[in-house]
Amino acid sequence: MKILASCKISDQGIYLNGEVQQKYTKETDNWKKDVYSKMKLDYPKFYKMDALAKMAFLGFELMESVSSFEHFEDNDVALLFANRNSSYDTDLRFIESYTEKGSPGPSLFVYTLPNILTGELAIRKKWFGENIFFIQENFDPEFFIDQINFYFRKGSKACLCGWVDSANDKEECFLFVVEKTDGEITAEELKKYYKQ
Amino acid sequence: MSELKETLKAQIIEQLNLEDLTVADIADDAPLFGEGLGLDSIDALEFIVLLEQNYGIKIADPSEGKEIFQSVDSLAAYIEKNQ
Repeated sequence: MKILASCKISDQGIYLNGEVQQKYTKETDNWKKDVYSKMKLDYPKFYKMDALAKMAFLGFELMESVSSFEHFEDNDVALLFANRNSSYDTDLRFIESYTEKGSPGPSLFVYTLPNILTGELAIRKKWFGENIFFIQENFDPEFFIDQINFYFRKGSKACLCGWVDSANDKEECFLFVVEKTDGEITAEELKKYYKQ
Repeated sequence: MSELKETLKAQIIEQLNLEDLTVADIADDAPLFGEGLGLDSIDALEFIVLLEQNYGIKIADPSEGKEIFQSVDSLAAYIEKNQ
């Protein structure tokens, strides 16, 4: 197992493969749109996504700007994601749509499940491998390694993994892509990537 | 008409939760679905709600939607005609 790329987005900034980014920052409230514009991406569906999906989308695009995953076949890549607060922010906005604005908003409703973000990534990349989204208290490196090994035993050749969380104005996104190789990575090593 | 179009753009952003977009980002004649704003059938429901809540217009025949929701131009024209 080998980590091909990683991206961390937190209050401390945006890190790509462990390097803090000067071009892409979190300095404004509109940082997601800023990063999207600076990357010159052309994917209008981005504007419809909720905060979780936007972060995962941008995190992946950032990784892909420095690493290529094109050599993987469509069914080779599994998606393994988790977070603490599910779709809490969007859930609140959806409740507000029918308690204060008169009618439940369908465009919000579709994001009231966190695993929608895995669908957004799969659609974007046309990856059709296994995908799953867990709700956990904290990022658990040992759990991720166990799950990745499970997918590798089942035939996946790579795994896009992520801890993407958003609640109460606190956003966090940690993505990494691992490739199946002979070597192993330890929970401690993975924890270091997460803490970067 | 131009005031209505600007109001419509703001309402589209609000109703469809496109908070990273501004009124200036939406051209009057840009396709709202597909390539333009990338909207889909879920968003068509939002347009139906928008028309009913803000302009008191009910679309009796859903098949009309494709033409009405083509762009801000077509939406504004439909509202002017039916209000």
